[in-house]
This record gives sequence, structure tokens and C-alpha cells, in this order.
Amino acid sequence: MTSIELRGVWHRYVGSNDWVLKNVSLTIEPKEVVVITGHNGSGKTTLLKIASLIYRPTKGEVLVGGKEFWSLTEDEKLVIRRKVVYVHEKPILLRDTVLGNVAYGLRVRGLSNDELLRRCKEVLEELGIWGLKDVNAYKLSVGQAQLVAIARALTLNPEVLLLDEPYAHLDMKKKEVLTKVLSRRSVEGMTLVIATHQKIDSTELRITKTVTLENGEVVNIIMK
Amino acid sequence: MISDETIATILRSIYVSGTATLLASVWSLPTSYVLTLKRRVGVVEAVIESLVGIPTVLLGLLLYILLSSSGPLAPLGIKLLYTPQAIILGESILVTPLMISTSYRVLKNSVVMYSELALSLGASKTQVMTLVIRESLPGVVASIIMSFSRALGELGIAMMVGGNISGYTRVMTTAIALGVVRGEFEEAIVLGLVLMAIMVVISVTLKLINKVYGID
Repeated sequence: MTSIELRGVWHRYVGSNDWVLKNVSLTIEPKEVVVITGHNGSGKTTLLKIASLIYRPTKGEVLVGGKEFWSLTEDEKLVIRRKVVYVHEKPILLRDTVLGNVAYGLRVRGLSNDELLRRCKEVLEELGIWGLKDVNAYKLSVGQAQLVAIARALTLNPEVLLLDEPYAHLDMKKKEVLTKVLSRRSVEGMTLVIATHQKIDSTELRITKTVTLENGEVVNIIMK
Repeated sequence: MISDETIATILRSIYVSGTATLLASVWSLPTSYVLTLKRRVGVVEAVIESLVGIPTVLLGLLLYILLSSSGPLAPLGIKLLYTPQAIILGESILVTPLMISTSYRVLKNSVVMYSELALSLGASKTQVMTLVIRESLPGVVASIIMSFSRALGELGIAMMVGGNISGYTRVMTTAIALGVVRGEFEEAIVLGLVLMAIMVVISVTLKLINKVYGID
């Protein structure tokens, strides 16, 4: 199983002199459920994108399974990236149907059409949106689009799933469904990292660590 | 009602402007893609955007000097003045800033957004690039159509380097100009209406592309 460790990570965007993350050190152990909280602009999204191996930090190290990720070869990086999946706060969907969107990650892994359909159906049914499978992604509401983006990540059954504000656009009923699905995945051994403003039902989802960010710094870590 | 010559002029216009647009896309689209990968392109962006509105007569004049028999290219044996190729070259240069500018805007957003998405879903470098191209395609096609429209409607270059030679370099805009000078309004009006119709079709096509593919 994959652990991700951020060691002394600093990050600033190109063209800016302001540090978005300042000396952040954080370890995400296998099977953990880590919640990252903080105000807008505290650096949650940047932290998640660094931990999901999308952004390379300006300074510091990102260790995956003990190896510095950014010094690996492209092939080695790809193998690891396929175990770590990130879902954006604002869902990014492709010009395709819901099914086409959900199947994308499986297609890049070269799965057969039968297997692909079976896995998509399973996840879409679990999230209660199988009925939308033939709908054009551009016709979805933001909440539906959010669920489709999450479904696309879940079909890949990653070892580590990082979700940026997954509840932001969902109504109460959909929030409950999503929490139950995430809880099930966590019990099965998936590592979850959730950045959110909102309170998560801790009776349903077994949170192991809550990290609070403020102005790009980790100000508090509560272990449970 | 429409003479053979008029039909030939219409077809020649479409051929010349279409070829010029395709030629411009050969260098404009890769340039846009390369620009999206560069980090500090503010100055380049500003220069390209300012060149979008370059007067066609100015570009026509520069090309005329360049291609004339006493121009800098004459010793090399390049004799393009008053040929359709000269118009094609001129129009392709004319639409280059427009095509780079519009396609860059499309690609800039797509490259960042879809690269991140593809990476986060475990795509290889080739798969990332394929996805970016696939998702940007409607916007890039819209940029090409817009450039074709600009090439088709320009007059200065076609007149100055084409020479408006009947049956050879005469295109719709130069034929309209000549018709007005000669007082032969009938053909000028027919060509004007055809030009207008083509522009309307282009505009509707662009709107459809934007609507169907949800381009902002």
C-alpha cells in the first residue's frame, strides 16, 4: 500500500512572490482518512495537488512509498500516479456522455469494454446516477457533475483518493450517499484525503487525522 | 442570372482564402501550443494581439515592395507579384496573429485544465496530449473558421499583390471594388450578397460550435 509523505514543502506559483505553502510536512499513511480544513486561500487545494503528484513543489520533497517521486523516471511516475487519484473542486468533464466521462480513466488503463462497462455501472449505481449514463456531460447540474467526477475516480479503485471539497455542490441526500460510499471504500482499505469547509459525519466516516491549514502553514493536526 | 465569370470569382475567392487559412494554421497552431507551455509570454501575447488589427493595405504595401521586380526577393528569382500565390501568402500572413491569438486563448485554458485532469486519472504523457487536443478541437476549429472569414473579406492585399486580373487573381472583394468604380453595380451586388451569405454561414457555424461544445 502507498504512503505519501510531504517533507518541508514550500510552494509558490510562477509569477508570484507569495508562498502558498510554507514548510508543510505531512504523512498520509495507508488506509487513513485525512480531513484537511482551513479558510479559503489557506492552501488546501495546492496541498492536495502536491500530494496527488500533479504539482511539483517549489521546495521540499514528496515521498511515495519512501521514494522521492519527482526524481523517478516517467514510467515509474506513471505506475505510482495510477494508484493516486485526485478529484477537482470544480468538476472537469470531457465533451462526452456521463458514461464516456466515467470510463476515461479505465480507457487509459486499457481495460476491455465489458470490464469497463461493468465497473462504471457498479459505481454509477452506487452513487444513484446510473440513469444519467447517456446524458451529455454539459447538460448536468453542478451537483451531478461533481458526482460524475467522483464516480470517474472511484471506478479506478485507487489506493489513495484525494477529494477537493467533494460536498460543495451536493444536496443533503447526495451528501449522505457520498459519505456512505466513501465510508465503504475506507473500510475496504482505500486511503482518503478530503479537503473541506464542511463538517463531515464522523459517525459514518472514520476520520483518523484532521489537519488545519492557515496561510499556507499547518497549524494543527488532530489524530484520532 | 449569375455569369460563369462571377461563379469562377466566387470559387477562386474560397480557394485562395481557404488555402491561405490552411497555410497559416501550419505555423500558427503549433506556435499557440508552444506558447501555452511557456510561462512568461505577456509581451509576446501583447505584440500578437496588436498585430491582429494590422491594416490590410499596409501589409499589402509591404508585400508589394517585397515581391516587386526591384524588391529584395527579385534577385532570388521569386516572381510572385500578381499571382494567386501572392494573395495566398499575404492573406496567410494577415490571419496569422488572429489565429495564434484566438487558438492560444482556447489552448491556454485547455492545456492547464485537461493536463491536470488526465494526470490525476493516470494518463501517460501521450494520452495527456491526446486529451488536450481532443478537448480543444472545437475551439481551434472556431479559430480557423474565424481566420478564413477575415481572409475572405480582406481587400487591400488581394488588390495590391494580386492586381485584380480577370480570370486569374480576381476575387470577390476586388471584383466588388472594380464593379463600383465601373458603375457595374449588378455584379457587385451579387458578389456582395454572396460574401455576406458566406459570412452569415460562418457566424452561424461558430455559434453552433460554441453552443454544442459549450465553449465560453
